[in-house]
Amino acid sequence: METVIKILSNLKPGVDFTTEKDLVNRQILTSMEIMLLTGELNDAFDIEITLPYIIPENFSSAEAIYDMVQRIEEDE
Amino acid sequence: MQYNDWFFVVIFLPAAAALYYLLPLRLRWTALLVFSTAFYLLSCGGRILILLATTLLVYVTGLCLDKIQLSFQEQKKGLPKEERKQLKKQTEKKKRHVLVFSCILLFAILFSVKYLNFFCGNLNILLDRLQIASQIPVFHLMMPLGVSFYTLSAASYIIDISRGTCQAQRNYLKLLLFLFFFPVIVEGPISRYNQLGKQLEEGHAFCYETFCEGLQLILWGLLKKVLIADRLSIYVRYVFGSFEKLPSPIIILGVCCYTYQIYMEFSGCMDMVTGSAQLFGIRLEQNFRRPFFSRSVNEFWRRWHITLGSWLRDYIFYPISISHPFQNLTKQTRKYMNPYYASCLPMIAALFAVWFGNGIWHGAEWKYIFYGLYYYMIVVLGMLFEPLFVKITGVLSISRESRIYHGFQILRTFCLVNLGMLIFRADTLTKAKDMIFSILHNGPAGEEPFMQALLGHRIGIVEWSMFAAFLLLVIIIGILQEKGIGIRKTIGGSPLPVRWCVYLAAVCILAAAGAYGPGYGAVDFIYAQF
Repeated sequence: METVIKILSNLKPGVDFTTEKDLVNRQILTSMEIMLLTGELNDAFDIEITLPYIIPENFSSAEAIYDMVQRIEEDE
Repeated sequence: MQYNDWFFVVIFLPAAAALYYLLPLRLRWTALLVFSTAFYLLSCGGRILILLATTLLVYVTGLCLDKIQLSFQEQKKGLPKEERKQLKKQTEKKKRHVLVFSCILLFAILFSVKYLNFFCGNLNILLDRLQIASQIPVFHLMMPLGVSFYTLSAASYIIDISRGTCQAQRNYLKLLLFLFFFPVIVEGPISRYNQLGKQLEEGHAFCYETFCEGLQLILWGLLKKVLIADRLSIYVRYVFGSFEKLPSPIIILGVCCYTYQIYMEFSGCMDMVTGSAQLFGIRLEQNFRRPFFSRSVNEFWRRWHITLGSWLRDYIFYPISISHPFQNLTKQTRKYMNPYYASCLPMIAALFAVWFGNGIWHGAEWKYIFYGLYYYMIVVLGMLFEPLFVKITGVLSISRESRIYHGFQILRTFCLVNLGMLIFRADTLTKAKDMIFSILHNGPAGEEPFMQALLGHRIGIVEWSMFAAFLLLVIIIGILQEKGIGIRKTIGGSPLPVRWCVYLAAVCILAAAGAYGPGYGAVDFIYAQF
C-alpha cells in the first residue's frame, strides 16, 4: 500500500491519497495520469495491467488501486 | 420518422408503452423489439437488412469469443502456474484473431456505406492531378439509419466480451434489440451492453414517478428542439449562406447562434430519448453534462457527447497508450527529457488517433477531419504549454482557483468551441476559411446594414427575446444542477396545482411558439445524418 501511495504522490503532488476516495470522478486522476500510473505500477510490482483492469472503479482510490494490483498478482 | 414528429410523440410512443405494460414482465422486451423494428422500417425501409447482417456478425463473434474463454476456463483447472500462463497467452491470441477479423468486417460495412464515396472521390481527384485517365466509379449508397452509432455499440460489445468484462448474448433477437432499440438508434447515446442490454431484457414494472420524469424530459427536449433550435436554424442558414456581405458582429452572432442551436437540438434530442426510454423504466447513459461550464476543451469533451468521448477513450486511447511500445517509449524518453514532456510524447501520439477518429466519425468530409484535428491541436498545445501557463499565472500572482480566473477559462473555452462549430457547420473547409476571413475583414458595416441583417430575416425582436429568455433559463437551470439541485425532482415534488401549471404552461408555449405552420418545414436532427 505504501508503494502505491508513494507512486501516486510522485505523480500528483499535493493530494492526500490516504483519504481521497473519488480520484476519477473528481478528475484528480486524468486519462494521462492513469496511463502514466499504469506504467509505474507495472514496473514497481512486476505485473502487467491489461485493458480489462482500466475501469474507473479500479482507480477511484489508493486502496482500490492496491486491490487491483493484488488481484492481478493472484491472476498471474 | 423523427422523435419530434407528432406521430411519434402522440401515437407511436404511447402505443409502445401500452403494449409494453400489457405484456407479462418476461415478455416485455418483445414489445420493444416489435416497435424498434417498426421504427426502423418506417424510417429507412429495406436498409434494415444491413443492420440484421451486422447483428448476425456480432452475434456469431460473441458466441465464438465466449466459447474460447469457456474452453480456457476448463483447461486451466489444475495446471501449474507456468502452463496456465502459456495457455492464457494462446487463448488471448485466439481471441485477438477472432476479434480483429470481426472488427475489420464490422468497420468495412461502415466504410462501404459512409466513407466509400469520399474515398473514391478523393482518389479520382488524385488520379486527375497525376493525369491518369482512368477513374474509379463513385457509388451512391444510402446510409442506414444510425449506422455510426450502432457500429460503435456493436464493436464495444465484442471487444468487452474478448476482454472478459461482458458475457455473450445467446438470443439473437435480444442482441438485435440492444443494437437498434428505437430511442437510441438515431442519435445515441452510444450504449454499452453491460449498461443497456440487461435493462432491455428484463421487464420493468410500471413506476409512476419514473414515467412522469420521462414525460417531463420529453417535454423539455421538445421545447429545446421546436421552440429554439428549429427557429435558430433559419437565422443560422441565412448567416452561413451569405456571410460575405454581412458585418463581422453578425457573422460572430450567427456562429454563436449555431452553437446554441446544435446544443439545444442535440441535448434536446438526448432529453427526448432518455425520457422515452424512462417510459419503459430504462435508464440511459448521460450524454451531456452542462458542457458550457467547462474550463478547458478537454473538460468540454468530457461533458459534450460523453458516450462518444468515453468510447474513444476506452477503445482507442487506452489500448494505444498502455500498449508495450508506448509504455517503452515513455520510459525511454523519460531518461533523456524533462519527465513532463517525456510523458506527453506518447499521449500526443495516442491522442492523434482519438481526435482523427472523432473527426471522421462525424462525417466523410475533409471539414470533419479538420474539425477533429483542430481540437487535437488545442489539446496538444494546452498540454505542452501547461507548465508555462502555471509559471505566468504564478508570476502575475493570479490565483488559478479564483472565480475570475474560472470565468476567464470558461469564456476562453466557449470561444474555442465556437471556432470549432464554425468549421463544423460551414459547407466546406474553404467556406470556413472564407468565413473566418470575413469576420476579420468585413468590419462593423458589411454590404447589408447591421439592423437589416439582425432583424430582416424572419427573426424579429420577439424571436430574439425568446432566444434570450430561454438561454437565461438554461443557464439558471445549469447553475442549479451544478450545485446539485435537481429541477425535475423539485417540480415533481411540488403541490399538484403548481406542478400542473408548469406542465400546461410548457405545453401551451410549445403549441403557440414552436417552429411549425406556414413557412416552416420539419428540421432534421443534425446528428441523425451521422
